Amino acid sequence: MTVGRAAVWWLVATAPLAGQEARARLAGRVPGAALPALDSIVLAAGDEGIPTEPLIQKALEGGAKGAPPERIVAAVSLSASQLRRARALLRSTSEGQPAGPAEVTAVAAALARGVSPQLVESLTAALSGEPTGPSLHAVADLIGHGFTEDAAVGLIVDAAHQGLRGLRLLDVAAAVVLELQRGRSRAMALARVQDMLPTVPAPPRLAPATVSKARRLPPPSEPPP
Amino acid sequence: MTRIDPLVHRVLDGELPSEVLTPAQRAELDRLERAGTLLADGPLTSVADRVMAEVRRPAPGVAQRLARWFAERHTITISVRPAWSLALAAVLAAIAIMPGRGPGLILSAEEGIAQFVGRFPGAKSVEVVGSFTDWRPGAVVLRDDDHDGVWRGVVVLPVGQHEYMFVVDGERWVTDPLAGRFVDDGFGRQNALLIVRPVPR
Repeated sequence: MTVGRAAVWWLVATAPLAGQEARARLAGRVPGAALPALDSIVLAAGDEGIPTEPLIQKALEGGAKGAPPERIVAAVSLSASQLRRARALLRSTSEGQPAGPAEVTAVAAALARGVSPQLVESLTAALSGEPTGPSLHAVADLIGHGFTEDAAVGLIVDAAHQGLRGLRLLDVAAAVVLELQRGRSRAMALARVQDMLPTVPAPPRLAPATVSKARRLPPPSEPPP
Repeated sequence: MTRIDPLVHRVLDGELPSEVLTPAQRAELDRLERAGTLLADGPLTSVADRVMAEVRRPAPGVAQRLARWFAERHTITISVRPAWSLALAAVLAAIAIMPGRGPGLILSAEEGIAQFVGRFPGAKSVEVVGSFTDWRPGAVVLRDDDHDGVWRGVVVLPVGQHEYMFVVDGERWVTDPLAGRFVDDGFGRQNALLIVRPVPR
């Protein structure tokens, strides 16, 4: 056995289980030159209690898109920073209560969409105890259509106070966007939806013919047929 | 009316012993004697008496008539033209083979349906690659059955947020312009952000 092979075997044998799983998923899917750096980022995140799945996903994405090793490492490193920041924000607004991986991932996604940390703080404080993901995406949807952060947060918090919860908050943003598409100004669109609350329309049901065509995907670990 | 064999007749009248009969004639004798016994045991009412008794009997109620109707045998004749029966058979066969939400497509509360639509005229293949496929190509292949350049696909996905891109002709990564939500992918492009909701029940 060569020294190199022995070193690999030693690394595999001594690495924590999560690290081994990550390595197994990344092997052959990302350039070999990126693997050591990715390993250390994923292991460090795992040690800190940060969700590692988004990091593995980012590395796989980079490999699938043919990105060079240093670009993949940089993207995964940036994702880790966003997750760290998201967790810190959630900790600061939930009086030290640990946030679940889904919450941390949702807040990191909102940060990646351009939502400011201050907005995350104000929204999570206003809707304490509620899942932050849908409300953050609803606010991000509105900001993406040119609304100010204050106007967007105000509408979504108002909708939540009127009993709309979770994914229904996305319908509030969708109702505003629909008003814009009908040619109304932002102020008018906001006012109309404000008047509608809490009875904003739900998304249309999929046609039975469409539903009948839906098929399940094989588990991601299995290669597709 | 069937004529009785003269020899059997004479035995019945007691003029001859039954031993003179052939086996066939003896069988006929037995049958006639049994019939005679039955007639002797039954009520000796006339046809008129029996008809009148039936007329005087109270009519059965609706429930009784219904019960009798369901219990009794009926001969039902349906006349159908062969053309119509063939058409009916074709319709039934179409319903039977029509794709539907089979047992494999019963969705849990943690699953939703995502419909992907992209316009790529002239493309040879279009697929969706994203976090739900572990960024592995080949799992969600879209179709353009009518060759109008609009490619479609419908899949069951876990409820929650997913990132994806279209891959055209196996090599060109394209952001879904209709997604509505986008996020920088860290590789110089933008992923579409999909939020899958549970299917309303």
